[in-house]
Amino acid sequence: MSAHGHVEGQLPHEPEKATLEGRNKILGFWIFLGAEVVLFGTLFSAFIALRHQVLDGPHASELFELPTVFAATMILLTSSLMSVFAVQAMHKNQVKSMIWWLVLTVLLGLSFLVLEIVEFNTYVSEGHRMNTSAFSSSFYTLVGFHGGHVLFGVLWISLLIAQIFKKGLTVVTAPKIYLSAIYWHFIDVVWVFIFTVVYLMGKVG
Amino acid sequence: MSSNHSVSGEEARRHKVEGPQKHIVAFILSLALTIIAFAAVAAGDINTTFTYIILVLMAIIQVFVQLAFWMHMKDRGHLFPIICIVAGVFVVFMMVIMAVYWLWW
Repeated sequence: MSAHGHVEGQLPHEPEKATLEGRNKILGFWIFLGAEVVLFGTLFSAFIALRHQVLDGPHASELFELPTVFAATMILLTSSLMSVFAVQAMHKNQVKSMIWWLVLTVLLGLSFLVLEIVEFNTYVSEGHRMNTSAFSSSFYTLVGFHGGHVLFGVLWISLLIAQIFKKGLTVVTAPKIYLSAIYWHFIDVVWVFIFTVVYLMGKVG
Repeated sequence: MSSNHSVSGEEARRHKVEGPQKHIVAFILSLALTIIAFAAVAAGDINTTFTYIILVLMAIIQVFVQLAFWMHMKDRGHLFPIICIVAGVFVVFMMVIMAVYWLWW
């Protein structure tokens, strides 16, 4: 990396914040996350306002199965821990173990997605479709949007792993790893509200 | 690379790299809070209002734990991220209250 003279064999401490570009990326990413909070908030407000309007479809308390949701929660929580470990390995400049933690993060994210697809499939077979009621529409929009974020995170982190193989860990690639971890934690934070507001409160009634 | 530089770099490294302990504690805390929330619902026969309060409390505590430890908000120099998230949450509160108020009162 000729553009960064001080990178010669050894990365600076906290390579994601070593350059102005890296710091600006982190700043910009937090603005994006603030906007994401608002975006999920709109979907949550629609769901909270409409969650009892089930028409002929099944009610939330009949539909949801807690064991599946609990398994999904555990998977996402663990994958969040894996991405923390990836960033810690990056700070210690251990590229190999960082890649392994990232691979684990992606695999857990994928199994979360599989679980969600199976879950939605079951709901559809029980007569809970996108167009069944205001409850079902707002449910699929909110939870599906979160699933879309998980899918994006899986694709993004997979591409980052490929880029690390090609370019190695530098002050250019380090901010990307750091931000993908922040993004992944954010997805986990949103899921905390989804399993609380949608599933558990739906089950309570 | 001069040896002097690498020594000071090594020192900074030893100084600032944090261990995994804090993150494992955050993980166990999140795990416990999740299990309490699910158990409160699975138990079933508790008062509904009380269950709601437990659920909201567990979610808020868990979000604070994860924001502080995993998204590094407790670290120095994170005023801007806090402003961003607080501004977002402020808008969300207005929207939720507005949506529920418009439709049901």
